[in-house]
Amino acid sequence: MQIPVAEGLFAVNGAGVQLIGTRCCSCDTLYFPQTPGCRNPLCRDKQLEQVLLPDRGTLYSYTVQRYQPPALFAMDAWSPYALGLVDLGHGLRVMGMLDDVPLDKIAIGMALKLSLRTLTTDENGQSRVTYAFVPDTTKDHA
Amino acid sequence: MTKPVHVLGAGAHPWGKWPNRSQLQLAIDALAMAIDDAGLSWPEIQGLVAASSRFEGGMGWGLHANEVVQAVAEQGIPCVNVGGACAAGAIAFQTAYSMIASGQCDVVAVLGAERMPKGFIPRPPGSQDDITDSDYLRWVAMGATNPAYWAIEANRRKHDFGTTDATLAQASVLMRRNAAGNRLARFRNPTTIDEVLASPMVSDPLHLLEICPVSDGAAALILGSEQYVQRSGKRPVHVAGCAIATGQFGDPGRRIPTISSTVSDDVSHTSEVTTAVQRALAMAGMGPNDIDILEMADNTAWHLLAWPELFGFYEAGQGDWMLNNGKLDIGGDLAVNPSGGFLSFGEATTAQAVLQVCELTWQLRGEAQGHQVPDARVGMSAVLGLGANGGSVILKT
Repeated sequence: MQIPVAEGLFAVNGAGVQLIGTRCCSCDTLYFPQTPGCRNPLCRDKQLEQVLLPDRGTLYSYTVQRYQPPALFAMDAWSPYALGLVDLGHGLRVMGMLDDVPLDKIAIGMALKLSLRTLTTDENGQSRVTYAFVPDTTKDHA
Repeated sequence: MTKPVHVLGAGAHPWGKWPNRSQLQLAIDALAMAIDDAGLSWPEIQGLVAASSRFEGGMGWGLHANEVVQAVAEQGIPCVNVGGACAAGAIAFQTAYSMIASGQCDVVAVLGAERMPKGFIPRPPGSQDDITDSDYLRWVAMGATNPAYWAIEANRRKHDFGTTDATLAQASVLMRRNAAGNRLARFRNPTTIDEVLASPMVSDPLHLLEICPVSDGAAALILGSEQYVQRSGKRPVHVAGCAIATGQFGDPGRRIPTISSTVSDDVSHTSEVTTAVQRALAMAGMGPNDIDILEMADNTAWHLLAWPELFGFYEAGQGDWMLNNGKLDIGGDLAVNPSGGFLSFGEATTAQAVLQVCELTWQLRGEAQGHQVPDARVGMSAVLGLGANGGSVILKT
C-alpha cells in the first residue's frame, strides 16, 4: 500500500507518474502544485483547469542535501541525496528529489523523467511515496 | 510635496547569542543608543515603527513597538508594527520615512530586534498540512532546507559563468576580513579559502562558512525632519531614496519555500529586491555608479556574487572578477558589506535591514571604526524577505 506524501500532488496511472498542476486557459500559463488563482497580472479572465503536467524535462540546476532536514521530512535509512530543479518546458521549473543517479554523475542539462520514490515503510508494509526525477534513458539532452 | 528626511541617530546591540537577555531588552538597548546618538530624549520621539517578529516579544501579536513604549516611555505616540519577514526592517524604515515626509511627524524611531530560535526555523502554527502550503510540501515531498534553494542558484552560476569553489569561498573570506574591524559583528576571526572549503559541505556547492547562521541582535534608527538635522552636531546624513517592493510574475529566482516557479525570460531574478533598488535609485536621481557602499543581504557567498550584478553595478558574470581583484573590498570600486555582512553577523531576521542602514549612517559620518570606507558619500542597502518582500535605502551625506 502506497500513500502519497500529499493528496493532489501527483497521479500514478498507466502512463506512469505525472504531477498534477493547473493551467490557466486564458493566458496559457502552467502552475505546480495546483493553484486557486492565476498570478499573471495581465490575465483578466483567469479560467483555470486541472492538468497533468509533462513527465519529462531537463535538469536546470541541483544540489546535494548533505545534512538531515527537520523531522517533517521522514526518510528511512537517511543518507545525502540530490535535489533538482527541473525544466518541464512552458516556463515551468519544478523542484524534486533526484533518484537513480550517482551524486557525482549529476549534470545540468541531463534528460529526466518522473518516477516514484519510497521515503518510509512501516511495519504493516505501508509506504509513503513522493515524486522524484530519474535519468530519462530514452533521450540524451545533454 | 514631500519633506526631506534625515537619519538623526543610529544604535545597535552587538550580534551574537544572548540567552540571558530578552528580545525586549535588546530592543530597549538599541533604541536608547540611537536616541542618544541623535542627541534627543524619549519625549521628543513622536512615533515608533517596529519590525514585527514571529519568534519572541510583541505580546504574541507582533506588537513590538507597543511593548517597548509600555516598558520605557508611555507618551501617547503612534506605534506601528509591520510585517515583512527578513525585510521587515526595510518596511519599518519606509513607513517611518513616509510619516516624516508627509509632514505628519518630525521625529520617528525605527526598530528591529530579534532573538532567533535554535536550529531550523520552525514552521508556524496554524498552517495546512496539504498542497495549499508550500512550506509543508517542501519538507514532506523533498526535505528542501533553505540552503538547498541557495545552493541550486550557486550551482547554476557555476554552470553559466564558470564560478569556482575558490571564488565562492573568497566571498566568505572578504566578509570575515571586513568584520574583523567591526565590534558589532559576531564572527570576527579572519578566515582563508582553504579553511572555508574545509568546513562541512551543507548543500553542494555551499559549505558551512558560506552560509549565514542565525543570531540575536537589535538595531534602531531615529529619522527626522529638517529642523532636527543639526541637533546632534554630527555630520548630517540624508535619505536620498527608499523603496519597498514585492515580486514580479515570471521571476526566475528560486523563491523559498515554493517547490516550483513559472518563469519568464524577460523578468528580473529576485525581482522584489531589484525593483526596490531601481525605485530607490530613481527617487534619488542616481545610478549604480553613484553608490560607494552596498550593504546587502548575503545569506550565502552566492548572493555576494549575484546581487550587485542584478542591481546593474556590472555585467552578469563579472562579480567573480570584481571579487577576486579586490574591487569589492573596503577601498575598492564598490565596497560590498564593509560591516562583514550576514555571513559575519548571522541573521537576526527582522533586525537585519535596520542594522544595514545603521552601518551606512556610520560609514557616511566617518564613524565606522576599524572598517571605514574612505571618502564614502553615498550608501545603498538591499534586503529580501519571505513573501517576496524587497527593500532598499539610499543615504547620502
